[in-house]
Amino acid sequence: MNESTQQQVFELIAKQAKIEIATIKPESTLKDLGIESLEAIELIFDIEEHFNINFPDQQGANFDSDTAKSLVDAVQKALDDKAAAGEGSK
Amino acid sequence: MPTVSMRRVVITGMGAISPLGIGAEALWQGLREGRSGIGPLRHPDAERLRVKIAAQVPAYFDPAANIDERVLPMLDRTSEFALHAASEAITQSGLDFGRNELGVRTAVVVGTGVGGETTQDEQSKRLYGENSQRAHPLTIVRLMTNASASQISIAYGLRGPTYAVASACASANHAIIQAAMMIRYGMADAAITGGTEACITYGALRAWEAMRVLADDTCRPFSVNRRGLVLGEGAGIFVLESMEHAQARGATILAELAGSGMTADATDIVMPSADGAASAMRQALADAGLTPQDVDYINAHGTGTLANDATETRAIRLAFGAHADRLAVSSTKSMHGHALGASGALELVAVIGALRDSVVPPTANLDQADPACDLDYVPNVAREMPVRAVLSNSFAFGGLNAVLALKRAP
Repeated sequence: MNESTQQQVFELIAKQAKIEIATIKPESTLKDLGIESLEAIELIFDIEEHFNINFPDQQGANFDSDTAKSLVDAVQKALDDKAAAGEGSK
Repeated sequence: MPTVSMRRVVITGMGAISPLGIGAEALWQGLREGRSGIGPLRHPDAERLRVKIAAQVPAYFDPAANIDERVLPMLDRTSEFALHAASEAITQSGLDFGRNELGVRTAVVVGTGVGGETTQDEQSKRLYGENSQRAHPLTIVRLMTNASASQISIAYGLRGPTYAVASACASANHAIIQAAMMIRYGMADAAITGGTEACITYGALRAWEAMRVLADDTCRPFSVNRRGLVLGEGAGIFVLESMEHAQARGATILAELAGSGMTADATDIVMPSADGAASAMRQALADAGLTPQDVDYINAHGTGTLANDATETRAIRLAFGAHADRLAVSSTKSMHGHALGASGALELVAVIGALRDSVVPPTANLDQADPACDLDYVPNVAREMPVRAVLSNSFAFGGLNAVLALKRAP
């Protein structure tokens, strides 16, 4: 699969928000897309499960104001960190 | 005036097991000295957990110290805490339940958010983790939510209305209100009530981690750098009596439980509403016959989450108007952590101490003011001041609010 990280994250957002994937813009906040409070925490969980990553704890973080792009960037960083850690241990 | 005669309700005994030690006095002395019960998480799986801190009952707590060895195998950790605290409270009250059939006229209402989580966790591990075919035969009697209330009833021969109350983080306050109502309206002459929780289990810790509301440094209520709540555990148990009953036997009265307010936000399952909390505080004042100006101290819910502390501040302003700026408000969760269904009970120990000793316990770890939290939170150091009447706030996930109003002993 060569599906980009962005495509996969957007699919997860679309599923959580129950919207068409085409309506998601990189600059859309989760709140813009109708994802608030517990739904945002649920989306973070879905993304972690999908990519098998752990986002760093962001106590008190307001995920509602995160943009779709910032989530994609966070996923990419977590994937890169994981890959680097994997190489380091070889 | 109500059409039925209402009896006044007083508190004549208190007991506690908390992160600040064994006994209500250990808890109160710790709080007034601003000591923290928060420390590194003690748990067999601590290495692989993300959460690193908790407010746990000290490791030296020995359940066998004053519980019959035949009873011990039947107890989850929640019931161990509750029975110890009940023993302390009942001893202090001096009540003899065998005298004049008082046991028949005594209720037991104990709040707990979940009940036997330790038992649930242990047995799930056996079944799913170790593929055991057999659960322990005492699993059900240990984990049932009413186990603490029932064990207290059995230990002391208390045959009045006995049950558990569950409303997450407001469980203890809701339970105490239930017990007070029964005395007020003549359904019981005395009641054993409070809250208990033992929630430091692998499953529960993982669930709280996933919610992303746990602080990684410490609990800093109302401070702009607050990073969430710190899980706690323990129990607070109290003896309530009708005032005439207590006075007739010459009991020492610790405080009067003068009124209460209960509301539901009916908005969001986790995000608190200032209106719901404010209306519970207003109800508590009216029920106790207090004006805002009569109140000197509020023991806040004050969890240390971004959402709670700012919303609670707005709610106090809504309920108290200009007098809000004259109130001392503190969150003792900064020291004993958030014991969920027991938290209102641990906080009632703080409230009784404040009324009795004229000392308001501080909000620890408040080092950077938050513009959204602009009340007098008694930062870091206890304050000697006259304390005539107090509110004690508990607000729960589920949007449930339960507020106690207390006055000095008459």
